[in-house]
Amino acid sequence: MSTGSSGLLRYMGRRAIDRAAVIISSLTLQFLLLRVLPYYVLGIDPSFFFLNPNLTEEQREIIRQQFGLDEPLSSQFVKYVLSLLTGQLGFSFYTRRPVYVELMERLPNTVLLLGTSTVLTIVLGLIIGIIAVSKRGTRFDASVIGSSIFISAFPLFYIGLLLLLTFGFYLKWFPIAGSVSRPPPRDPVKYVADLLWHMALPLTALLIASVGGFALFIRNLFLTQLGEDYVVTARAKGLTEREVMLKHVLRNVLAPVITILALEFPGIISGAVITETVFSWYGVGRWLFDAAMQFDYPVVQAVLFIQVVLTVVSLYIADIVIAILDPRVRLR
Amino acid sequence: MEAMSSGKLIALKDFFLELRLYKTGVIGLVILIVYVLIAIFAPIIAPVSPNETELADSYAFPEWFSIFPGYRNMPRNVFICVGYDDWLIKNSDENVFVNEDGESVVIVAQCNDEVAVKSVTLEYQFKYTYDPPKRFSGRIPFEVTIYNATGSYVRIRCFITTPKGRTYELYDSMSIAYNLTKLETPASYDARDIYLKLKLGFSPHDDLGEKILDEKGTYKLKLVVSLLTVKGNGQVRVRLGVKEFRVYGKLYGVLGTDNLGCDIFSNLVYGTRVSLLVGVLASVISVSVGLIIGIIAGYKGGVIDQILMYFTDTLLFTPILPLIIAISVFIGKSLYLEIALIALFSWMGFARNTRAYVMSIRDSMYVESAKAVGASDMYIIFRHILPQLTPIIYITLVMRVPGAILLEATLSFLNLGDPSVPSWGRMLYSARYAGAFFRFMWWWIIPPGLAITFLALAFVMLGHALDEILNPKLRVRR
Repeated sequence: MSTGSSGLLRYMGRRAIDRAAVIISSLTLQFLLLRVLPYYVLGIDPSFFFLNPNLTEEQREIIRQQFGLDEPLSSQFVKYVLSLLTGQLGFSFYTRRPVYVELMERLPNTVLLLGTSTVLTIVLGLIIGIIAVSKRGTRFDASVIGSSIFISAFPLFYIGLLLLLTFGFYLKWFPIAGSVSRPPPRDPVKYVADLLWHMALPLTALLIASVGGFALFIRNLFLTQLGEDYVVTARAKGLTEREVMLKHVLRNVLAPVITILALEFPGIISGAVITETVFSWYGVGRWLFDAAMQFDYPVVQAVLFIQVVLTVVSLYIADIVIAILDPRVRLR
Repeated sequence: MEAMSSGKLIALKDFFLELRLYKTGVIGLVILIVYVLIAIFAPIIAPVSPNETELADSYAFPEWFSIFPGYRNMPRNVFICVGYDDWLIKNSDENVFVNEDGESVVIVAQCNDEVAVKSVTLEYQFKYTYDPPKRFSGRIPFEVTIYNATGSYVRIRCFITTPKGRTYELYDSMSIAYNLTKLETPASYDARDIYLKLKLGFSPHDDLGEKILDEKGTYKLKLVVSLLTVKGNGQVRVRLGVKEFRVYGKLYGVLGTDNLGCDIFSNLVYGTRVSLLVGVLASVISVSVGLIIGIIAGYKGGVIDQILMYFTDTLLFTPILPLIIAISVFIGKSLYLEIALIALFSWMGFARNTRAYVMSIRDSMYVESAKAVGASDMYIIFRHILPQLTPIIYITLVMRVPGAILLEATLSFLNLGDPSVPSWGRMLYSARYAGAFFRFMWWWIIPPGLAITFLALAFVMLGHALDEILNPKLRVRR
């Protein structure tokens, strides 16, 4: 028992170092692609969009100094990494407000939309996938496979556009943009109802795009296990199909499912760029897109950083959970 | 050598024979061939160039809408060219000579011993029987030459008279007292011109077409050339080129026009090229990169493996779509940058798979014995490892295409694509931001998306069929 827990600790420690190194190298990559490549290699100067063209060369130089752009690249890089890692996300170039404050304004909306859609995707996907694999070979199974492959060929933004066109413009059942009416209703109950009304179309688009794929993933994952001896044994014991699936197979396929869930999690914070842009949802994803279009470096860097850290952390947690559930993993 | 190639031919034939057994694969292949043919013959299929603007009024309906009663009388494109033979020329002055020069009309006024104003009227009648259009325009190429008669001037005016007799002045050159050529860049008038609207006494928000061409019947176009000649024996000469008059129709082409008056159908046809190019190229690059990195990492192992896999993980952990968006905004919009970015961020999964395969092959007995005989690394890779990888290479090549196509469409929809290349994503972008939704122009919104979907679907179906043919393990599972 003691060797087991120390093995787990050692595994966690080794993983933590690996993951932290990945954060640093991902930051390096982003620095290279967003700061070094455009300006130092291709000679594209983003300050062109910000500075008054009538400024003299000296005034420009002073402004560049204020932003620390006259320092050598290495010290710029160290500052960039250190301030991101210490949580100093800086100020937006456009609104001149702290990035953190702006993020907090948008976070509730994004968590609401993406959180709901992720939870619903998991629940619906598991249910549909398990039903499909229990009834494999039937018409239901075939239609699950067929429709999820068909939907996977649709661009997400197109699903959004079609929903907008039918339910927003033709039928006028749902609002065509925004996350809440202007002015927002005073009554809290009405406010929630209004928010849900605005959320219906983006949520549907996200669900259409993701449920089918997740159900197919679950179905194929379960299928790999059905020939295994323990399934045969369980069936031989006289367990119902439902018990076999939920009690035996689900446990054995838990590792990849947890990994997929861990990959979904960062999206809840960083939002869905496409869906939020199509439906003008006041969230982090659209914010990132708008900021990129406006060369708002601090915002872009901050959101990308948050997303990388969340991905790494949630996968790390997934690793640990899997290691606790399945001791074989630790030995690898 | 010959035996080998014929052997390959037989394998290819077997492959197609087997593909026939998979209905989805055949459907996918057929759809794909149709798309490829459309891409190759785009210039023949598309009636006009996709970038040509003002082909008809903006937001025109498809031409086949005219079978519906509400659209039957919609204004069509009317394009009238009036040359020498078409004009009805009224010349009231004996000192003025009107001659023909090819299609153009040459008016020569001879100076005499008094200052006189002479005028020539050219008239043309045309029928207009549709509903009032929103917009019309005209071009008058002319050239004024004044020989030895300083002080003389010429004034050219253009009028339109409705069947009921209302007359509007569309163009007035004002006095031209010097040599002036407007043959290459003709003088023009346009119903969208606010000054023209104000001059004719309408509000800037009125559509002149609806106000002027609101009757059905015979309209008269009139050009009045007034010439003032000074004393002496100089000459004033006016050459009038072919006058154009056009009415911008509200019905055009297979799928109407967009906000700039471009043909939507031509854009749809040419969009095939971009999607196929991006999809195939990005997939080839990403599979090649993944293959090289996977083979090196898997075969060499050790430190090289760790470094490469660390790099792969870094890319896997990086949020791809936001990063691609930011890079393409910061660096600029270009098709090949787009392809490079899509390929750069999509090879990681295949590299990891390849590495795992290569590792399992590397440790097998026959590779060990090849090594023992003294085979070089290159020999082992090309002779023993690559042939075993070919099935997954083919499958991955096909399966990577839809992702690249969808990503390209997404980027173009966010207006990050190459603005000079017609693409389906960009069509949807302009549909969204130019008001196709408010106008319920489903013929602009639905086709590009379906084109993307079916192209992606063709590759997915082909990929699944390939998977089943080349991956015998899967068949056991069924």
